[in-house]
Amino acid sequence: MLNREDWLPLARKLDWEFSYTTEQEVFPPVISGHPWLPHSSWQDWEEAFKTSYREYVQNQHEKDMAVYAVRDAVGRLENVQSLATPWINGLKIHAAALPLAEFTGTIGNLRGARFGRDSAWRAMACFGALDEFRHTQIPLLLMHELVRWNAQFDWAHKFYHTNNWFAIAARHFFDELTLGQNAIEFHIATNVILETGFTNLQFVGLASLAHEAGDYLFEKMVTSIQTDEARHAQIGHPVLALVMKHDPDYAQYLIDKWFWRNWHLFSILTGVSMDYLTAADQRSGSFKEFMEEWIVDQFFRTLDEFGLKKPWYWDIFLDELEIYHHMIYASAYSYRSTLWFDFVMPSPTDRKWLRQKYPKYWDDMDAVWKRIGERWKAVGPGPDKESSVLGTALPTFCDLCQLPLSAGTPRNNTANVLAYEGKDYIFCSQPCRWIFLREPERYASHTGLVKRVLSGEAPADFKALLTDYFRLTPDTWGKDVYAGDYDWL
Amino acid sequence: MLLPLYGFMEGDTIGLLIVADEQESVRSLSEKLRDAASLRADGSGYMDVVYRGIVLDPDSTLAQADFKPLQRFDLRRNHGLSESRDSR
Repeated sequence: MLNREDWLPLARKLDWEFSYTTEQEVFPPVISGHPWLPHSSWQDWEEAFKTSYREYVQNQHEKDMAVYAVRDAVGRLENVQSLATPWINGLKIHAAALPLAEFTGTIGNLRGARFGRDSAWRAMACFGALDEFRHTQIPLLLMHELVRWNAQFDWAHKFYHTNNWFAIAARHFFDELTLGQNAIEFHIATNVILETGFTNLQFVGLASLAHEAGDYLFEKMVTSIQTDEARHAQIGHPVLALVMKHDPDYAQYLIDKWFWRNWHLFSILTGVSMDYLTAADQRSGSFKEFMEEWIVDQFFRTLDEFGLKKPWYWDIFLDELEIYHHMIYASAYSYRSTLWFDFVMPSPTDRKWLRQKYPKYWDDMDAVWKRIGERWKAVGPGPDKESSVLGTALPTFCDLCQLPLSAGTPRNNTANVLAYEGKDYIFCSQPCRWIFLREPERYASHTGLVKRVLSGEAPADFKALLTDYFRLTPDTWGKDVYAGDYDWL
Repeated sequence: MLLPLYGFMEGDTIGLLIVADEQESVRSLSEKLRDAASLRADGSGYMDVVYRGIVLDPDSTLAQADFKPLQRFDLRRNHGLSESRDSR
């Protein structure tokens, strides 16, 4: 019997030359990705973990047992019910966004497992697929117990099956990232940008806040998920290294595109949770501070490591760090019935904290919250007054990222229109417009929510839009947690 | 003809879909957007309607101002802006 040190390198790097077909037929460029290179160029592909299947199963089993132990000890329904209501609603956002997105990662990794250009890459992608399947199962399992208590947790499974505007945006993102993507772009976009950067923020940063909030189950769940990410995220780096060697402009484009796409989605998921749905005394830092520590620094190290440049839109991104998720939250608050979780208004204490952390544009945002507060004061608190404190016109969305046209500032919204091949488009920002124009064949035929309403595909009647198209109900659509009954109003 | 337009009022946090008839006045369009944005932003007082960089005459119709579907228009306070004024 060979020792592990002898057989594992042999098994991992077992490849062969094809006799009955060509390498290009086995690995078609359209699904293997660009640049297409012969295997001789990929044969030195390597990563640090070098796990065997036996070790994988053993390690994962131990991790699962640890998660279930925490669930049994502190993750029961009564434990969750004791958490602060705003935090519970942050949990609902993640409960919905996470599981089936992870399942799309299973598909993406399986693409790598078949069309990755080296056997060691393919082997790692197999484990990556199993990881993502685990990341699908764990939140579905843990959130399932909460559904009978609160039907909004049913969105853990339901979300991606609806035409809710946020689901349209999330599907647009994940369809491109994983389901409809070639192996090279999948691994660079997912492993290098999403997992090394943004989900690091999501899982490590949020875990810290979860601990402060007393949500030890969520903390354990995301830290356990993150240990898998740390391993399979290594796949993308050697892929990027080779793409840089042969087509650095393309590598730069992928980095620029995917950083921007990730930024918008995650600023909503994480920014809102950190700065609005976590109690002020439990926040260890602002979303911007977390981004600077976990994303920006890490991202710059990646750029340096590969000889890449800062994305051309970097100043736009830095400005958006100051304001974007604030614009989104205020907009979403006023259209909370279009979502499946509840909202809180920031209190004077919260607003003081937000002003301190985001001084550049906070005057403009404070004016918005003041105005919304005045509406509550005018109509009085109560669940029957919700509809009086909601937006009335149809909100609008970017034709690239599918997120609300809430980029820029209240004084200068950066939405911009484009006429392309006889059709009109609108984008929230210049980077979204740029991405569209780089690959119009990919994006031009997608129909956003506004055009669906205008064409009749989606109902124009607001209530029908919520119930028939977004699949919300009066029990599950979002409300103000306190129905406007704030001591400080 | 109905015109679906993207409206942005200064002080607001999101663009809104405003549907107007091409024979409506620019003033009427302005009122629709102020009302739609009113939960979040103060639309009282005079605000310019700006379309394709031009400040419009409130009494002109949308057709006269050459509005097309799915274009952006803005309501802005006059801060001494340099946009040209439409005297049609």
